[in-house]
Amino acid sequence: MSSHSSKRRKLSPSPENTQGPTTQNPKPSHNPIALNAKTGNTRRSAELALASGFCKSSFFKLQLDELLSSSRPNYDKQTSKLQDTLHKLKDVIERLPERPPKPALEADKELRSTNGVVIPYPDPRPGKDAKYSVSYAPPTNVNVVGSFALRTGTKTVDPYTVDLAVTMPSSIFQEKDFVNYRYFHKRAYYIACLAAGIRESKSLNVDVKFELQDGDSLRPVIILGLHDQKKSDGRLAKSQIRIITAVEDKLFPLTRTLPMKNNIRQGLDKTGNDEPTPFYNAALRSEATVALYHKFAHSAIKNCDAFRDACILGRTWLRQRGFESSFASGGFGGFEWTVLMSLLFEGGGPNGKPVLLKSYSSYQLFKATMQFISGRNLRDPLLFFANDISFPDDMPALYDGKRGLNILYKMSPWSYDFLRHEASITLKMLNESRDDNFAKVFIFKVNEPFLRFDRVIGLPGLDSGDTLLAFRNQCSVYQVLRKALGDRVELIHISSHCPSPWQVDTKFSRNKAKTVLSIGLLLNSENSMRVVDHGPAAEEKDEATSFRDFWGEKAELRRFKDGSIRESLVWSDLPSSPSIVYQILVYILNRHFNHVEDDIRYIGDEYDEKLRACGDGVLSYSCPAFQRITDAFNSLEKSIQVMDEVPLTVRHLAPASPSLRYSALRVQNGLAALRTPVDVVLQFESSARWPDDLTAIQMTKVAFLVKIGDSFVSQGVAASCKVGLENESSKILNQTFLDIDHKSGIVFRLRIHHDREETLLERQLKEKGASHQAKQEVAHALSAYKRLFIQSTRLTQAIRTLCTRFPLLSPTIRLVKYWFRCHLFTGHISEELIELIATHSFTQPFPWESPSSVMAGFLRTLHLLSHWDWQQEPLTVDLAGGLDQNAIEVIRTRFSAWRNIDPAMNTVALFAASDIDLDGITWTQYEMPPKVVAARMSTLAKAAMKLLREKGQTLDISELFQTSLAPYNFVITLRQKVLDNRSASSTKFKNLNIDVERGAAPTIVKSFVHDLQACFYPNILFFHGDETCNVVAGLWNPQTMKTKSWSLKTAYSTFPAVLEDPEADDKVSANRDAIMNEISRLGADLIETIQVM
Amino acid sequence: MPEIAGYTILPLQLPESPTYAKPAKHYLYLRPHEPRIPDADTPRSLFLVNIPIDATELHLRHLFGSQLSGGRVERVDFEAIPTKAKGSLVATTAQGNVTKSKKRKRVTADDLQNQLDDISLPSSWDRELQKSGARAIVVFVDKPSMDASLKAAKKAGGRKSSQSIVWGEGIEDRRPPLGLQRYLNHDKARYPARAELLRTVNDYMTVFTQVSEARKREEARRAQEPDEDGFITVTSGPKLTSAAFEDEARALVKKQKEKSQGLEDFYRFQSREKRKARQNELLRRFDEDKKKLEDLKRRKGKFRVSFCPL
Repeated sequence: MSSHSSKRRKLSPSPENTQGPTTQNPKPSHNPIALNAKTGNTRRSAELALASGFCKSSFFKLQLDELLSSSRPNYDKQTSKLQDTLHKLKDVIERLPERPPKPALEADKELRSTNGVVIPYPDPRPGKDAKYSVSYAPPTNVNVVGSFALRTGTKTVDPYTVDLAVTMPSSIFQEKDFVNYRYFHKRAYYIACLAAGIRESKSLNVDVKFELQDGDSLRPVIILGLHDQKKSDGRLAKSQIRIITAVEDKLFPLTRTLPMKNNIRQGLDKTGNDEPTPFYNAALRSEATVALYHKFAHSAIKNCDAFRDACILGRTWLRQRGFESSFASGGFGGFEWTVLMSLLFEGGGPNGKPVLLKSYSSYQLFKATMQFISGRNLRDPLLFFANDISFPDDMPALYDGKRGLNILYKMSPWSYDFLRHEASITLKMLNESRDDNFAKVFIFKVNEPFLRFDRVIGLPGLDSGDTLLAFRNQCSVYQVLRKALGDRVELIHISSHCPSPWQVDTKFSRNKAKTVLSIGLLLNSENSMRVVDHGPAAEEKDEATSFRDFWGEKAELRRFKDGSIRESLVWSDLPSSPSIVYQILVYILNRHFNHVEDDIRYIGDEYDEKLRACGDGVLSYSCPAFQRITDAFNSLEKSIQVMDEVPLTVRHLAPASPSLRYSALRVQNGLAALRTPVDVVLQFESSARWPDDLTAIQMTKVAFLVKIGDSFVSQGVAASCKVGLENESSKILNQTFLDIDHKSGIVFRLRIHHDREETLLERQLKEKGASHQAKQEVAHALSAYKRLFIQSTRLTQAIRTLCTRFPLLSPTIRLVKYWFRCHLFTGHISEELIELIATHSFTQPFPWESPSSVMAGFLRTLHLLSHWDWQQEPLTVDLAGGLDQNAIEVIRTRFSAWRNIDPAMNTVALFAASDIDLDGITWTQYEMPPKVVAARMSTLAKAAMKLLREKGQTLDISELFQTSLAPYNFVITLRQKVLDNRSASSTKFKNLNIDVERGAAPTIVKSFVHDLQACFYPNILFFHGDETCNVVAGLWNPQTMKTKSWSLKTAYSTFPAVLEDPEADDKVSANRDAIMNEISRLGADLIETIQVM
Repeated sequence: MPEIAGYTILPLQLPESPTYAKPAKHYLYLRPHEPRIPDADTPRSLFLVNIPIDATELHLRHLFGSQLSGGRVERVDFEAIPTKAKGSLVATTAQGNVTKSKKRKRVTADDLQNQLDDISLPSSWDRELQKSGARAIVVFVDKPSMDASLKAAKKAGGRKSSQSIVWGEGIEDRRPPLGLQRYLNHDKARYPARAELLRTVNDYMTVFTQVSEARKREEARRAQEPDEDGFITVTSGPKLTSAAFEDEARALVKKQKEKSQGLEDFYRFQSREKRKARQNELLRRFDEDKKKLEDLKRRKGKFRVSFCPL
């Protein structure tokens, strides 16, 4: 029977046969419910297939659909709103009277006096000797074009722009008008006539302004702001109409506007007569292609269903990265994206095969276009429908031969580099299997200069009123910087602002157009700190001369160790001198552009300075201070291996301290004042001689520690060794450690790791019949055990490796720690958690690359904190490269389990897991931090981001580190003198009491706050900084502040209401004054004042 | 004479503090001790609620003995209010009455076990603190002392504030000081002398060995004793605890799994079932994704591209 049925199945793979139960059951199923369930299942399957077929993952697809539907403007509504206006407008334009030809300047005067419109002639304005005249004749065609007509636009916060193309009649132009701005002057007159006509028409209630099309000063256009009819308060509606001009395709021959042709022949430089004017040519040509591209895109939409959606995705993607059509913001916007995609249907792939196919989904179109942008270097020009056309060097080119336009003509070398850079990052995000990265591709705003770049520079006073000139200026700045910085930078990005629209009755103000040029640098973290630059060898005369020309007196001839004599540059690396990149910039900008130092706004070094100031002058992980600790550890490890007084063999000594993973903010620098002990963990080979009881194990540890200490002292490894106690109240937690005052001057704190403890604790946890409280204590001990002996050594190992891989990780972590410390989070948020958060911005840097500066690292970490929705999302950090989809799955499961167990987040608020710690609660369990503090952390990070965006370049970074004490209920100020004395006494009388002060520094503030917290938990939360910070802030638990009935369970000092109001029965309220008094009694001479806010 | 829920209210004037100038009063609530299971000391004990955080035995002796002129105090038992423990935080002040998991309770080994529990490493604090609002039981030398004290307290509660009792007045120098010195002392006491440490460890280990030997002996003896029905349980080898047994069972299951590895695709029905499971899994995920999206939408209000960053 079975063989028979299997054969049948093979022959006819009908759906019901593949379903197990139906073949088992010979009776045809008439059960409607079963049938229903089955069809429901198949429908869902179909839906699933649809969702996952052409997309990264089904969730990605769902989000994509949601994004598309929410960013698609409601065209029907818009059309019905605008139709009337557009018709009227067309009517007005078509009825405007002809104006006879007259000389350009005369026309200007006339229009100004009769219509009050200043003709927006582009520079250079027509001279007195201009032999041509300007005129107006009704347009041959008025049409709506562009994204509104094609329905490829997206919703934006800015008003939606509807393009209205007015085709100027060929009759007003002459054959030679393509040279010397003549076309553009005539066009400007035409535009001005239109503006005058529209302004004076009675039927239209619009606000007429001039604007530059795509920021191109050659092509002013009209912007019509529409008044909302419904709202009479004069506010402008959500859309505006832009009138652009067009000409007939055949007006000027295609060959005149090829990129290498020269069309600006006036001026003095008669020698450089044939220098190509690609930008001018293309601007001219693009006037003739308006209708052509509209048709072209229209046919692409007809051809491919998903084209419109892909346009929306492209526009969204570009906008988030700051790319727009105008030259000032990259020269690659929605229009260019649409044309590029349309072209890619016809070619662009290997052997001229199309890159896109019409069967592609919108996501596939998007991704393939990304692939094309990042994969194909268009500096090597790509020609469609044409060959043998040459282009200027170093400029990207994608030439459309049919329409005769290089669609990338507005792109500069740097914006092209950045476009490819962004595209390749996006591809990496899309190809990552671990995470769908949807938000990072489309939702995040990537274009935030301080997060995006490592250094930001502002240069003043560059004129952007004349695009050709601005383009040339920016190119020369770019070239000088590129050459000067060389391999210190990965990419240089230059951007400026487009001039804003101006009233038609005023002249285009050049002063307003003067904008700050902002330059962003992506540094190369390996090279950016190099002190000596090697130039060409002395024998290579030509190179040496050009090197000298470029660098001026900074270039010097030097002989190097390998015997070569080279031109070279030596920069100062003294701690007092500014960063080398800054030195280079100031020098070279002054030499080539006469910028004085005060002109240059340079942002990025302050963060390094801040870290230097707060972190013992240490910046890099490879500095001697960290090296000393590592060396001392290695030496200690050796001594412990050869130690033979202890009856067990040593398995290993593992580092478990921030100082040994380059992440300690304060680094010991020999002063006894900063002798924070360096934690290390010792593990012996397993042995049966250990007692099988938790308390007895602790006692055995004491004996071992005493022995190890004796051995070290007698061998001279350590000056002294002391066994110290911790966790006194518990008999199952680790109770002892050994403070080793190592001969190198570093204090190590050694704890013994015995893996039997874990088994014993786990057994006790499983044992039946134990009380709830006892079990909680065991659970706490187990988590402490894991944290202390397993996770902290693992984390140390992982962070150590990462710090050497990312040189900026160590300084970033340290600055972030300083930030947390400044905001009094010390007792609530563990250092390890901070390290995890900071590492996240390095190992999962999307949508950027890993930061190469303290600024980018620090700010991106704050950015992460500001948008981490910790109530709903776990933080998953890749520490050792092992974070794959399975790991994420496990982490997510545990996270939701925790949220189920503890929905109020009473013990676990933040959840931070990594590939080496899937539990995710190691550093955050037991209210590290409590929910309130976690919320405050988010609030502060959000505030910091807001400040950054508001103030931009003018931000004083110390504002980020100033905490407000206003949200707290009271503030305890400690006596600075007491704290200072404690830390400074030993340095003052070094020779006197060095022996007394040896050993770990006392932790007074920490112990004090610990006492406070122990006495007043959970009624007051205390916030404090490190040992040098003299502020302890307190926050009342709102529950405690309520008046309640007297009860034995009331766990705080109370005040009986009956004393004041005999009717109050047994109501009590918190006796705040008594508690304050208690605090002051406890602190006694430590406290300067207590201030109740 | 104010009272609250049957407790006498005893106001205490708190000493003036230079750092917190506002004068404050503390309110102690007391009444005769009435535990659920009374013992011999109960009749001469007072139950105190809401003692100040710096209260010590001396403070209370002084309060009842001298300040109230009541009776002599024999001893004071502090007890913390069990709150949801915040792990490490309560650790320093816990009173050592943490419930210990006495795994094996044997009559004869009990004394030794108690002796063992008493041996602990030296404390690094010179003075304990109480949790805010904590309770204490004051045991007086006899019942009249207790009665007198209660009466005095009642009287003091009704007195005018000018005659009020100042907390800890007159014994300032007789207790280790708080403040900086407390922490400096702690820092020193954290590192006990080598000899003291070794002595504690030796004592502990000696008793520990005795306990385990006593246990072993008892067990051996019990193994020989017949139970009620006259049977002797025969055991061989070390007895596994339930937890250890679980471990073993788990290992066994794992082994079995390993054995069956590589045989999953042996029969057609197996691969068919696998395929089906995969399909269902995909569907389940899809549904989950949909739910996730709904969730996302609900949380963020509307799903839209924010041109200002999230």
